[in-house]
Amino acid sequence: MSLGTLDRTPPPIFKQGPSALSKLIIFSALALFLMVADSRFNVTQPLRAVLATAMYPVQWLSLQPVQAGRAVGDYFITARQAQTQSEAAALLLATQALRSSQVEQLTLENSRLRKLLDLREQLKVEGVAAEVLYDAADPYTRKVIIGKGMSQGVVLGSPVIDEFGVLGQVTLVHPLVSEVTLIIDRDLAIPVLNVRTGVRSLAFGDAGGSGGLELRFMGSNTDVQQGDLLTTSGVDGVYPPGLPVARIDRIERRAESAFARIHCIPLALVSGARHVMVLQPQSAQIPPRPTDASAVVSSKKGALP
Amino acid sequence: MIMRSGQQLLLPASPVFIWCSLLTALLLDMLPFGRAPWMPDILALVLVFWNVHQPLRIGIGLAFVFGLGVDVHQSALLGQHALSYTALSFFAAMIHRRLLWFTVPSQAVQVLPLFLVAHLVELVVRLVNGNIFPGWTFLLAPLLEALLWPVVSVLLLVPQRRAPDPDENRPL
Repeated sequence: MSLGTLDRTPPPIFKQGPSALSKLIIFSALALFLMVADSRFNVTQPLRAVLATAMYPVQWLSLQPVQAGRAVGDYFITARQAQTQSEAAALLLATQALRSSQVEQLTLENSRLRKLLDLREQLKVEGVAAEVLYDAADPYTRKVIIGKGMSQGVVLGSPVIDEFGVLGQVTLVHPLVSEVTLIIDRDLAIPVLNVRTGVRSLAFGDAGGSGGLELRFMGSNTDVQQGDLLTTSGVDGVYPPGLPVARIDRIERRAESAFARIHCIPLALVSGARHVMVLQPQSAQIPPRPTDASAVVSSKKGALP
Repeated sequence: MIMRSGQQLLLPASPVFIWCSLLTALLLDMLPFGRAPWMPDILALVLVFWNVHQPLRIGIGLAFVFGLGVDVHQSALLGQHALSYTALSFFAAMIHRRLLWFTVPSQAVQVLPLFLVAHLVELVVRLVNGNIFPGWTFLLAPLLEALLWPVVSVLLLVPQRRAPDPDENRPL
């Protein structure tokens, strides 16, 4: 056996390169700089986009076993199950047929009434269908990655819905994929409207990690009941109005606090959605805010009577 | 060449194999197994392994780059995995001369603090950034990584343990 086949080579004596400690300091400083740049100044998006595109092949490869498993699972779905599903779908279609056939007439009537009253036209909503690739493997946040990105026209801040309601909002757009923060993430807030009473409020993701929402800043004497439906209010410039968001699950009115604790259950399949719809954000269609001068005039007018 | 008595002489490690193992570990990390806090980080394990066995080839800079990749994949704060992998790689470089004098099970005990430090770095960054505490099960992750150390040691040294002069009776 010749000596060249051995692994243990002596370390170089002179060509040592920078020491491990200096490398540690340099790279830690770089990492800290990146973290600050990412969390405070939001300037790392190009770097993220480049890395995400470079890693896309590995990502695609890692998703193949899961998609193969899903495909096999779908193939072996029993005939009985398929039959029940199709029956349920037919029933749902029948119940929705009446309402959907009325929609045309109602839309026409609505637009005429709006014209009559000189109100602004309802905003149009356009969307792109997308598939959920995977849940972000991050125990601290609730995000999913969808398989449509900048190249398919997804823009930052777009609302994302599934067949039951609002799922979340696009918070990062890469060239081929984008990241959706779910409505149950504790950093996401969504303006909602209680359909029964017409009261507007804000729903936040639950910090407890129970996978629900919390309706905050509601006085303990407000009129909320278990089972109330919350829809998007449409005042935020992001979500179109009237999309179902959540249903109120339980209300804790506490004597020591002026606010009630209201827990809601999201209607969308936050942990199991596979196909979602990315809508265009409404902010592009909303007219700009009035300037200060007109605001002063209007407030004077409002104060007169 | 000083080494532990009874230790097998190894063939040189092939750079292609090192890179393939690192990419496979990245792929394993990316498999969508959900978001359990106790999921062991295979990439960190393989990085430490090559840092200890091939310190001249795999160093702190590479660990940093792989950390950035994981951050982008998890769409986490950019730089937190990079920081934890940098620390991990530094400590691996610190102990790499000593570690190989021990048997593989006692090596596993000695790398456990490394993984613990890496996960704690990540946790501290998260908490500073305003995230919630994910629950105590995250402490299982470094333990599982240390338990996987012997497995990885066997698997990744297999190509280097082949015979230096294979013949017909001994093809491998």
